[in-house]
Amino acid sequence: MTKLPKLVALRVLLRSLTVQGSWNYETLIGTGFAFTVLPVLRYLHPTDAEAFRSALVRHTEVFNSHPYLATVAVGAVSRLEAEGADPIMIQRFKSALRGSLGSIGDQLVWTAWKPATVMVGVALVVAGMAWWFGLAVFLLTYNTFHLGLRAWGLRVGTASGLEVGKVLRDAPIQKIARRAGDLGALFGGFALVVAATDLLKESDWSIVSFSCVGLAVAVGLWLGPRARLLFGSVLMTAWFLAIVWEWIR
Amino acid sequence: MLPDPAAAVWLVLLGGWMAVDGTSLGQFMVSRPLVAATLAGWIAGNPVAGIAAGVVLELFHLAVLPVGAARYPEGGPAAVVAGALHASAEAVPGALLMCVAFALAWEWVGGETLRVMRQVNVRLVASEAGPRGADQLQLRHLAGILLDFLRGTFVVGVGLVCLSALLIVSAGQWSLDPEVARLAVSASAVGLLAATLGVFGGRTRIFLFGAAAGLVFVLVRT
Repeated sequence: MTKLPKLVALRVLLRSLTVQGSWNYETLIGTGFAFTVLPVLRYLHPTDAEAFRSALVRHTEVFNSHPYLATVAVGAVSRLEAEGADPIMIQRFKSALRGSLGSIGDQLVWTAWKPATVMVGVALVVAGMAWWFGLAVFLLTYNTFHLGLRAWGLRVGTASGLEVGKVLRDAPIQKIARRAGDLGALFGGFALVVAATDLLKESDWSIVSFSCVGLAVAVGLWLGPRARLLFGSVLMTAWFLAIVWEWIR
Repeated sequence: MLPDPAAAVWLVLLGGWMAVDGTSLGQFMVSRPLVAATLAGWIAGNPVAGIAAGVVLELFHLAVLPVGAARYPEGGPAAVVAGALHASAEAVPGALLMCVAFALAWEWVGGETLRVMRQVNVRLVASEAGPRGADQLQLRHLAGILLDFLRGTFVVGVGLVCLSALLIVSAGQWSLDPEVARLAVSASAVGLLAATLGVFGGRTRIFLFGAAAGLVFVLVRT
């Protein structure tokens, strides 16, 4: 079997949206994996209740991966189950796969695609587009790739089985992550200039505003992602001081 | 200061949706602060005020990675609280600063409830008394999602009450110049935009190219 029947594949894809539904500190997404692969097991064991039950129990064991790429593992495992592979081998295969699916997904989606598409949305909002337009562009762009990735994962997983590692190595994941990073940096630079100019214009280019913006930009460029902590502390302190000062008065 | 009862019910339900979108169901990124705060502002009758809070919170969240068992702040429900109350109380001096600062703290409360829920999930699906058979497995898995939804409604409900109380208390007593408060938030947002150069791995040339495009845009617009 190198392809799932359409209806089964659709059920698996829909169920994969809930793969982290019962995330827990013991089996991680193990139960979610079993929930996702269940239509395949029902298809493979329509009458053999014992085979179905034992396969289901095996797949509730500990598993983890990036949620969007869990379909790669589901597809590959479906094929191995269809071929009647040794259960111990399937468990070992899942263990071997989970690290790569996690790191590839984090690198591709969480650190590249997500921040890049968010920056596109933020830049459109900062540039003064209608509020719904920036949101719609972000959600459509992000989710086209997201849903495509889930479907692609299921397809290559089922088609490749044990060879799925090779497919993942050959996939243009690094290239997509690089391009997404370029896109994010481009829109980040754009939004920075537009937001800073608007802020200065609103305050009539006052020297105080100019100094604050200059300092904030310098600190942001210097600290990078760590700037979150500093700016968060600045806002919390300003809030706290305003309250304390009022009490003292 | 609280949105009207019908809007409050919708906001609490939105909070549940944002909680499940964060991890349990779909992860369509509707729970990003940019989207969550805007939707909340829209429900409260002022989407533009909602998006103002959303953009700032989004920039704070850009580098947060929701990876595995790591503890991280939960942006969606906190952004609903901030977006809704900034939309309802925009006229209160320092409202944006208060809403953003509260949301930054409330995100950690949300993250903590997420951690507790994951421990409850161990009993629900992974313990010795765990699921027996396909039907029970499906039921318990879906119960995990329902639990997450309820957690989100709780985080948003309590957050709305707490931030409303703070806004009411400080409405007549805010001593910080509203302009200073606005500048603190806006300058932080600009600083976080500058920090995106680091978020995207130091692509200096592309970043500068984007900045030049921004400059052209500003000149053309004026």
